[in-house]
Amino acid sequence: MIQIQSLQKIYNGVVVVNIPELNIRQGETVGLIGNNGAGKTTLFRMMLDLIRPEKGEVLSKDQNVANSDSWKDYTASFLDEGFLIDYLTPEEYFYFTGGLHDLSKAHIDSELIKFTDFFNGEILNRGKYIRDLSKGNQCKVGVASCLLQNPEVLMLDEPFANIDPSTQIRLKNMIRDINREKHLTTIISSHDLNHVTDVCERILLMEKGMIIKDIETNQNTLLELEEYFSVLQ
Amino acid sequence: MTLTLIRQQWKAFWRSKNTGQSILIQVILGIFILYILINLLAVSFFLDKILGEIFPGKNILSSFSGLLLYYFLFDLILRYQFQELPTLRVKPYLHLPIKRSQIINYLSFISLWSGFNLAPFLLTVPFLAKIVLPQYGVSVFAGFIIAIAALTFFNHFFSLWLKRKENGNAWVMLIFLASIGGLAYIDFSLHLISISGFSDFIFSGIIKNSLLSFLLLIPFASIFLVNYFYLKKNLYLDELHSSTENQKSSSEIPFLNRFGVVGDLAATELKLIFRNKRSKSAVIKSFLFIFYGLLFYTNPRLGSQSNIFAPIFCGLLMTGIFIVNYGQFMFGWQSSHFDGLLANKISVSDFFKSKFLLFTLFATVNLILTIPYVYFGWRILIMHTAMFLWNLGVNATLVLYFANRNFKSIDLSKSASFNWQGVGASQWILSIPLFLGPFIIFLPLYWMGLESLAIAMVGIIGLGFIITRKFWVETLSSNFKNKRYQIAEGFRNK
Repeated sequence: MIQIQSLQKIYNGVVVVNIPELNIRQGETVGLIGNNGAGKTTLFRMMLDLIRPEKGEVLSKDQNVANSDSWKDYTASFLDEGFLIDYLTPEEYFYFTGGLHDLSKAHIDSELIKFTDFFNGEILNRGKYIRDLSKGNQCKVGVASCLLQNPEVLMLDEPFANIDPSTQIRLKNMIRDINREKHLTTIISSHDLNHVTDVCERILLMEKGMIIKDIETNQNTLLELEEYFSVLQ
Repeated sequence: MTLTLIRQQWKAFWRSKNTGQSILIQVILGIFILYILINLLAVSFFLDKILGEIFPGKNILSSFSGLLLYYFLFDLILRYQFQELPTLRVKPYLHLPIKRSQIINYLSFISLWSGFNLAPFLLTVPFLAKIVLPQYGVSVFAGFIIAIAALTFFNHFFSLWLKRKENGNAWVMLIFLASIGGLAYIDFSLHLISISGFSDFIFSGIIKNSLLSFLLLIPFASIFLVNYFYLKKNLYLDELHSSTENQKSSSEIPFLNRFGVVGDLAATELKLIFRNKRSKSAVIKSFLFIFYGLLFYTNPRLGSQSNIFAPIFCGLLMTGIFIVNYGQFMFGWQSSHFDGLLANKISVSDFFKSKFLLFTLFATVNLILTIPYVYFGWRILIMHTAMFLWNLGVNATLVLYFANRNFKSIDLSKSASFNWQGVGASQWILSIPLFLGPFIIFLPLYWMGLESLAIAMVGIIGLGFIITRKFWVETLSSNFKNKRYQIAEGFRNK
């Protein structure tokens, strides 16, 4: 689904991402972990063609994301609040992003019912602009808007960071369910090792721009990762 | 403590990311202000001569006293429009062991540093020193100074208080302006009251007994305290942030639905414009330009039939002001969610088409609003239409070409007046072709005596650009694709 070939990003002479080769197969759920500054967000941004790599390329369905827009048809992403149009109400934002995929309002309204638990009554019909929502609720809007688009590829950067524990659990279940039903390719970054090992079948561990571990999740993975991170200190 | 806060603001200025740019702007602004202040000084120095000319045969000092209150009323209007609220980012200080009163003192103190507070003194002190001091002595001179200072600072804190309290509420501004206008109407047209008489009464009182000037300190002191306690009560994060919590409705614009994704994008940008402070005031100001023609056309010298340049210039400005005023900062308006726009399924050509749609919408509304100028002759309407076509064809394309080269983000929540954020070299360069372009076409033909052809040419070239828009959208799109990383990078550096 997604192939990365000799990808490099350099800021001020420092290599912040350096990935010789990476293959993400269709239907995989990939967890991206690593300490601050490991290059996770930069990698996401290059996969979404938001910054130009110094070297190498990202292929999505064999098309270079920098040269074609076709990947946008089936890729939904939420990296940070900069993805939200903050002067819209959540409903308007859902209609807007849904409209880009030719979804009717009625369709979106009916899809939104599925998010009733996830929203916990704090998003819809509150008469607030997105900019007046808390960070956690903004995150819910971003994630919901991604899932509404019915994507084949989903990218989320630290979706668990700002939301409450109940919503974290609901989000995990949602991602797992969707993955089982629709065979979605998902890439999630997180600092929460529990959640990542819970949801993801495959873990990529980044350090200083390199992927230093690429493991299939099993019952020992969590321990292995905890060991790695505690040694680092 | 106040000193520490000032020092930290100083650091904030020097260490901000775009210091180089803001220094240049400060210098330009500084020269501009200096120029105005020198003018004021000159006016003040010759004020006795000027007053003698305007009010022949009247006592110079009493005509001066009669004018003072008018000046301060006018000053109040100007301040309400342009004076900036002092901005200390109070957030990092509120949780520290710093007394609230200290923060407020700092805010009050730093706000005094403004040209508005210097101007009244520059305008009056030389005159007073020249006329009052030799005639009435030091005590009356000091009385005048105290009175002027009291009125200046009253205006200062009153406008700050009103601005803070209403937080840019357009109704309050209208009521405020209307009441001042009403006062002027009652004075000048109905002659029911006389502000100048009242003004003269106050200041001739001071001439008789200079201690009376201390009475004027009372309104100043009271408004200072009102402002102080208002701040003290409202120095909370949530209340300083947004005072109004009314229901936001999801408004739709049915007219734009027929344009598909392009219409959705334009509708979203319309929401951007009307739901954010800075963009809203920029657009409202551009509507005020509709009255620009009155300045020219009512003037017999400038608006005469033989003068052809006034309608060109006015037409250019009145139908194109939105394109210039809003377009010059594109795509900075969308800087806060630019990554989202790039990552979403939005084709670049749709993005550009939506900008053209938006320009067309506003320019057309403005053209319709300028139709009444037909009163000054049919030719004016024809020329306005030619300039409208030019604006939509040539200038809109030019603005978007420069938008591809604008990497400066804009914070939508700040107010627009004297806000230089997002202003860079591209804005200065941009204004040259925008305003000179039509003249390059027009002048050679005009000099050959082909006046009608000259006007027609401008319109035809504009129309030509509109007809070939597809080509321009494609050119702009491929240009955008080259620049997109740079634009997005710039917008991420707030």
